[in-house]
Amino acid sequence: MRAINDLNEAPVVRAAVKKKPLSRHLVHLFLLPALIFYVGFMIYPILQALLNSFFSWKGLTRGEFIGLNNFVRLFTESPFKETFTRALGHNVIYFVGTMLAKMIVAFILALFINSKIKGKEFFKTVFFLPKLLSVIVVGFLFSLILNPTYGALNTFLGKIGLESLARPWLGSPDTALYTIVLINSWYGFGFAMLIFLVGLQAISPEIYEAARIDGASGLRMVFKITIPLAMSSIMIMTILTFIGAFEAFELIFAMQGSSGGPYYSTDVLALYFYRLAFGSVSGGDSIGLGSALAVILLILIAGATFVSMYFFRGKEVDS
Amino acid sequence: MKKQVAVLGSVAILAGGILAGCGESGTKTGDASTASPGTSPAVTGAKGEKVKLTMYSWRPEDKEGYEKIIAEFKKENPDIDVEFKPFKSTEYNTILGNTLQSGTGVDIFQLRPYDGAKAIADAGYLLPVDGVKGIENIPAAYQDAARGTDNKVYGIPFMLNNAVVFYNKKLFQDNNIQVPETWEEFVKVCETLKSKNIIPVAQSGKAAYLLSMTHAVLGPSAYGGNEFVSSVLKGATNFKDAKFVDSIKRMKQMETFFPKDFVALEDKDAQALFYTGKAAMYINGSHRLETFEANKLAFEVDYFPGLSAQKGQPAQIATWVDGSYGVAKSTKHKDQAMKFIEFIASNKFGQAFSDQLTRVSPIKGVAPKNELLKRMAEQSEKSSTPYLMLTNFSQGTPTTKTTFEDSLQGMYIGKLTPEKVAEDTQASADKWFKPAK
Repeated sequence: MRAINDLNEAPVVRAAVKKKPLSRHLVHLFLLPALIFYVGFMIYPILQALLNSFFSWKGLTRGEFIGLNNFVRLFTESPFKETFTRALGHNVIYFVGTMLAKMIVAFILALFINSKIKGKEFFKTVFFLPKLLSVIVVGFLFSLILNPTYGALNTFLGKIGLESLARPWLGSPDTALYTIVLINSWYGFGFAMLIFLVGLQAISPEIYEAARIDGASGLRMVFKITIPLAMSSIMIMTILTFIGAFEAFELIFAMQGSSGGPYYSTDVLALYFYRLAFGSVSGGDSIGLGSALAVILLILIAGATFVSMYFFRGKEVDS
Repeated sequence: MKKQVAVLGSVAILAGGILAGCGESGTKTGDASTASPGTSPAVTGAKGEKVKLTMYSWRPEDKEGYEKIIAEFKKENPDIDVEFKPFKSTEYNTILGNTLQSGTGVDIFQLRPYDGAKAIADAGYLLPVDGVKGIENIPAAYQDAARGTDNKVYGIPFMLNNAVVFYNKKLFQDNNIQVPETWEEFVKVCETLKSKNIIPVAQSGKAAYLLSMTHAVLGPSAYGGNEFVSSVLKGATNFKDAKFVDSIKRMKQMETFFPKDFVALEDKDAQALFYTGKAAMYINGSHRLETFEANKLAFEVDYFPGLSAQKGQPAQIATWVDGSYGVAKSTKHKDQAMKFIEFIASNKFGQAFSDQLTRVSPIKGVAPKNELLKRMAEQSEKSSTPYLMLTNFSQGTPTTKTTFEDSLQGMYIGKLTPEKVAEDTQASADKWFKPAK
């Protein structure tokens, strides 16, 4: 089919090129402003970070070329290697936790809103509302709610006789990270739900009808028809959640400070990067190490994203 | 493709911060040093032209006080406007670092004491202030807090701080409690208070630096104060010394006298416990007296300066220069900035600073009006000890001070033993610290 299209269209295009060669090239000029911004604010910083990572630093002054030494130190020297491994582990937990919570809850919400239920527009708005708040505001609000001395959650638990469940949610290493994962998921439910909803609405009702005639119903329809056909929106959500999890910064910073307390139990790579590169002006070698970490983060996120895109591409089903 | 762009973009934003300034900072400092302050049109050569100086601080609480002090300066210098721009203390270093790297935006700024000031001076971001009129009225030992490696002074020390134990005088009187002198007496006081359902010490641990400040007050009597300090600085002993480990064990012992879940509490929560009489003591710097006044407490606050090793001996009060004011080399208004710095070094500023903001000024001849501050100043002269982690161990990546306080936090959540806290602290110091010979 495609070959036939090519045959049909090719001569027309060629004719257009011959007629208006100048205007064809002028079109490219319209890309220039965006390209300048893209190069200036994305490509150049990446290259600069890469360059900085090969040098020694003393405070804010660049020293001599030291090759891969900063990278080697990040992976072999205490406390850098421990902090890196711990933060990476937290990023993975952050991703898996957010993913599970979002996938399950947001998908169910999307299914619910996609059905013929009354008041679905109202619920759609309600579920999306948190996304309209700034992350910093969300962080601040939850810090108040979870405060161990006067916070609403522990007070509420006390009032309904569940005092034994009250705990310092953000002050204990056992609960702090999971609490933040849940808050982040709550914040992101609405957006994930909308993405899934778009995927669900794209599925033709005829397919369901045909399945029903064949005797399929309930969960079987969800697993055999809905999920495979909504795979592209699941893929988008997975990749966005992955990027979001490995870039996680604002919420943890707002709630736990730049060290990801208590005692690094909520530390993630972006926070570690922030501390390393900008956390002190004490004359250390932090900028070189921070740049090296930024480069590692880039490779990690870009690499994993490409792999997952490749993985998902094979799973997509055309409806 | 869009996805790839999104990925690259998101990481680039992270990396972008680095680039924003550090890329060419090596050369940037050189440029700044050669830049003539008279070349910019904004510079003001002409008389009568208004100039606005931007002044960075890590003390948002001081905004009102500084407005009054700046108004005093403006009376004599109507052409110079000064904008006091404070940032949250915990984020100040980062914001300042970024501003300095970008090369614009600040004329005068607060310098963290000792190693913090030295790093900025050595990186070439400051103008020396050795020759500023009035600096001779500040003792040389205090000037050390803003000295570069080249031995020049790069900042005017403007505030001293003392870390002490504040206590609710009424609660102490009502419960018949005498001010403790030694560690043993202190523990007894805490036990008595606890038995009466009063939180002995309103400590917070979410921001770990508050833990090392408490250690600076309670620790010296265990590790031996100035004697240990000079031994460490000479390299005769280190943080794994049994006495220092003992000081950390005391911190651990204090756990039962701190509020429940204090590691999740912020300083403002701890203050609230103290202000409402739920807690009897609160350990912090003398700068908190201003906060007490602002909150119009319903009870009288008094203090004691840490603990003595033996009853009858005076306790060493933790004293340090808490900040200096430096002039950015990149300032476009050098003359005006220097004029303001001269004002900061004057007795007039010192007295206004001490009166308005309830703080101790290092300028000779300035006497605090506040009775408690007056007593602290007198005690500092007689028997003081440095806040060791701040004055001498603020270097390294992460700094030894950060390692120490984060490790203390780790100890309270059960991840580290006191011995391991000492070990980690020493391991951090080993990386950069060279004992004085």
